[in-house]
Amino acid sequence: MIQPTLANIRAAAEPATADYGGRQAHVACDRFSFFYGDNQAVRNVTLDFPSFQVTAIIGPSGCGKSTLLRSINRMNDLIPGGRTGGRLVFDGQDVYGPRLDVVTLRRRIGMVFQKPNPFPKSIFNNVAYGRRLHDGPDKGRLQEIVEASLQRAGLWDEVKDRLDDNALSLSGGQQQRLCIARALAVDPEVLLMDEPTSALDPRATARIEDLIAELRGRYTIIIVTHNMQQAARVSDLTAFLYEGDLIEYGATAQMFTQPRQKRTEDYMTGRFG
Amino acid sequence: MKLRSRKLLDRSLTGVSVMAIVLMALALLVLLGPIFSRGAAAFFFRATSEFRRINLEQFNRGDSRRIAAESQAVAEARQPLYGMLDDFAAELEDMDPARRRELRPQFKEVRDLLRELLGPLPGEMDAVMLRQQYGQTRWERAQVTLQRILFSEQWDYSDPSRMGSKVLVPRRQAFVGTQLEPLFPHLQQNLKSMLRPRFTFYWRFLSDRSLDSHFFGGIWPEILGTFYLTLGAMLLAIPFGVIAAIYLSEFAAAGRLVSLLRVCISTLAGVPSIVFGLFGLAFFINTLHLSHSKSVLAGSATLALLILPTIIRAAEEALKSVPHAYKEAALSLGASPLRMVLTVLLPAALPGILTGIIISMGRAAGETAPIIFTAAVSVGRPLKLWETLNQPTPALPWNIYNLATEHQAVDQIRHVQFGMVLTLVLLVLLLNLAAIVIRARVSRKMRG
Amino acid sequence: MKTNERNLVMSDAASRLRRLAAFFSKGFLFLVAAASLVAVLLIIVYIARDAIPFFKLRGLKELFASTAWFPSGNPPEFGALAIFIGSGLVTLGAILVAVPLGIAAAIALSDILPYRLRQAVKPVIEILAALPSVAYGFFALVIFAPLLQNHGGSLLSLAAWLILLPLGLLIAFAVSEIATRSIRADVAPAARWLLAATLAAVLVRGLVALSAILKNVTVSSGTNAFNVSIILGIMALPTIVSVAEDSLQAAGRELREGSYALGATRAESLFRVIIPAAGSGIIAAVILGVMRAIGETMVVWMASGNAAQVPQPWYNFLSPVRTLTATIAGDMGEADQVLGSERYHVLFALALCLLLISFFANLASEWILRRQARRLGGLK
Repeated sequence: MIQPTLANIRAAAEPATADYGGRQAHVACDRFSFFYGDNQAVRNVTLDFPSFQVTAIIGPSGCGKSTLLRSINRMNDLIPGGRTGGRLVFDGQDVYGPRLDVVTLRRRIGMVFQKPNPFPKSIFNNVAYGRRLHDGPDKGRLQEIVEASLQRAGLWDEVKDRLDDNALSLSGGQQQRLCIARALAVDPEVLLMDEPTSALDPRATARIEDLIAELRGRYTIIIVTHNMQQAARVSDLTAFLYEGDLIEYGATAQMFTQPRQKRTEDYMTGRFG
Repeated sequence: MKLRSRKLLDRSLTGVSVMAIVLMALALLVLLGPIFSRGAAAFFFRATSEFRRINLEQFNRGDSRRIAAESQAVAEARQPLYGMLDDFAAELEDMDPARRRELRPQFKEVRDLLRELLGPLPGEMDAVMLRQQYGQTRWERAQVTLQRILFSEQWDYSDPSRMGSKVLVPRRQAFVGTQLEPLFPHLQQNLKSMLRPRFTFYWRFLSDRSLDSHFFGGIWPEILGTFYLTLGAMLLAIPFGVIAAIYLSEFAAAGRLVSLLRVCISTLAGVPSIVFGLFGLAFFINTLHLSHSKSVLAGSATLALLILPTIIRAAEEALKSVPHAYKEAALSLGASPLRMVLTVLLPAALPGILTGIIISMGRAAGETAPIIFTAAVSVGRPLKLWETLNQPTPALPWNIYNLATEHQAVDQIRHVQFGMVLTLVLLVLLLNLAAIVIRARVSRKMRG
Repeated sequence: MKTNERNLVMSDAASRLRRLAAFFSKGFLFLVAAASLVAVLLIIVYIARDAIPFFKLRGLKELFASTAWFPSGNPPEFGALAIFIGSGLVTLGAILVAVPLGIAAAIALSDILPYRLRQAVKPVIEILAALPSVAYGFFALVIFAPLLQNHGGSLLSLAAWLILLPLGLLIAFAVSEIATRSIRADVAPAARWLLAATLAAVLVRGLVALSAILKNVTVSSGTNAFNVSIILGIMALPTIVSVAEDSLQAAGRELREGSYALGATRAESLFRVIIPAAGSGIIAAVILGVMRAIGETMVVWMASGNAAQVPQPWYNFLSPVRTLTATIAGDMGEADQVLGSERYHVLFALALCLLLISFFANLASEWILRRQARRLGGLK
């Protein structure tokens, strides 16, 4: 059932990828937990997300994978009754430390959501939004950055003549790539993707997956997906979460061919989840 | 119960409820029908030569040569009539005293009514009041006056068991055999040439000042006053209302204080409008001394309090209906909550907020009770902008009340009253229509 | 890009500044939001402040127990009982008009009319709600009052026919249905029809007699409680319809489907299941409608006749009455010249009563709606 795709063939072929411990871990969890009130959604998870690689987080729904992802850029801050335990480190700093600047954190860690959520503004203004927040209105460079971001998200050719159109007039797949461009425009180092293709059709999904392959090596990408084939296709490393616990973590090729844990194998072969 | 009768009961429920809807729509029609038809008469009517004279002499409007020519022609047409009056006056002097005593008051009545119909009689000094310097400007009012000349009203008490009833007696009967007798048929037949009614579209009813407490002219002071009051109320209420809504929908943690705030907002919405008026008097004028007595400022402040809850509720509703995804996207790009609100939330919620604002604008424009003690006067000139700080103003809703109940000649200026009501109702309807259009366009945009 | 812009950790000073800014911006928002709280408090304080001197001077008894209202008399008398009764009477009349009509219309909107028709009816309700009260008052005074005065009798008898005939026929039908339930099946249909026909004949006979009486009623003045009740009823309709419809809708499709699946007709589902479930919301709707009627000023001021007298008999809707709101509006014009007089303070005392009534009615409706929302939320 596991297709040998470009991504995992490459992952297997490149020794540097497998030897992820040797590189500086940009994002790392150290016995990290997240609680919704009394309910512990993420339990003592310890793992490193290596730089410039694609890490997939998989697991059945409700296993805490989205919660873990959203903890990285503190999008869970708004949840009433939410609190954390352990440490979550980005660039050597505790993300939940007292003096951490959330604005800078989120700027350096971009995010793409489940459903494409462009603002009801023009395409240009969508991409420019984040830049304007940080730089103020600097029209000349903005133009360049918007173009570069759209190029990088593979959307430029489709929208270059209609940058002033409402973003909501794009198709779902285009909207999602626009959201990726919007995230890239603020020049992040890490890109969090929360099931970015779950609302898209197969063709649009394929484009996003290709895009992820292109972005690999420039950005540290962490992607949550419930689609195991997708994880196999796009990721270098895979983490399997089950009921908040990290069950297994390792190179994708190895996880999908020779899982070390019984539960990983059960999940991958469809016994549950 | 039999199935058939169950179905019958079911159908009668349908009937009753549909009937209720029909009755409701009917009520609206019955309400709006007369307001529209009779209100339109303030704008479209058959204007007499007197109307054109007023326009020329008071507003300096119209072709002066043509109007002079018309006045000439009209005066000629009226000449025989005035001749009859003079003849009869001479005849009256020669009558025997008993008959003279009987006829003199009646003759005076006829002369008074003629003055009302056609303006001052020849050779009379110009009267002080404008209404005494001109005759009837509207043909339908002229008809009414004509009827009063032709017939005198008397009360019939012949049946002691019932209330007295009105009977119309031809005035001519009293003057049979005198020089005045032919006046009545003559007047009836030639009134048209004496007044020259012509269909007129008087759109300046909206922009003319009123003359002689609304006997002539338009309703500009009222419109301007309503505009000032509404504008002031909106300027005061919108910032407070929208900011409060932002706080309640985005920043307030659920707690006792916030639920107390909500209770206060709904309480404020339930306070009777007249209590707002009293409060405005006691607080803004008698305590804060915003102005020495009534003023547009005090009225606006009072109205602002009245519409505050409406705006808060509408804005909060609009803010809450903005998809959560927009907020998350903005936050994930590194926007602070306040920046997120300003750059994403408010623009997305703007149409909804605007709808609420427009509807409460209609409410502020139409409210009467809060401005009775704080801002409204019956007669006033159009205010300059800076005068709104310490001057009272006439306003449409108040003057509708005032003209319909307290004016010295309520019946004679019905058309002005209806015109005012129509203007106010149209204003409110247009505002509501705008709100409906915005809402429809937004829901279309959100879908596509 | 400069590196310091990417520093994750703020300096102490920057962190303190950020926290301070957040605190102050949130505090500012809260203060603005608290304006409505301040407004409510100010209203209560300022109305009460000017009302208390009256009670100090005159005590409570006169205001609530006497019907002699001669504020400009010498000595003045401030017995407002007739005014309270007047307010109560027109409110009662408005309820009688608005509640049956409003609930029936709400049922039609939530359960009976097809979607498109519903969308067409919504603007009617919106316009009825949006029309300024002075326009209603003007209509009542200038069009409805003369009509009532000149053709009052025939108008009343026409209304009686229109309302009582369908209602009476429905009741006659239901009574005959229930009365013949235990009769043998073979004669039951005949008995039922016989009974129904007899009842209908009695009804028509009664109506003929009633309309003869009504036709002879002379309305001495068109500005009276009846006039005002009808107009206030129409004004309260939109509130009642929209709140009641919301709560009927909130009862949910599951409930309806459950009932239909058991073979109940629409009427049976409505009366046995949906209306009981939505009941408290409907009560809240009625309370809000009542508040609208009690608090309305212009219509009653213009068209109620403004006579501070207790109608004889108390339910005589054709007699002119005076209400709290109209008294405040009408008397303040003269009283505000003499700031601080008893005449001035008594109006604030009346306003305080009005405020307290609306305050408690509002709390009640709020409480009922919230409880219903919780209960229906719990059901799902």
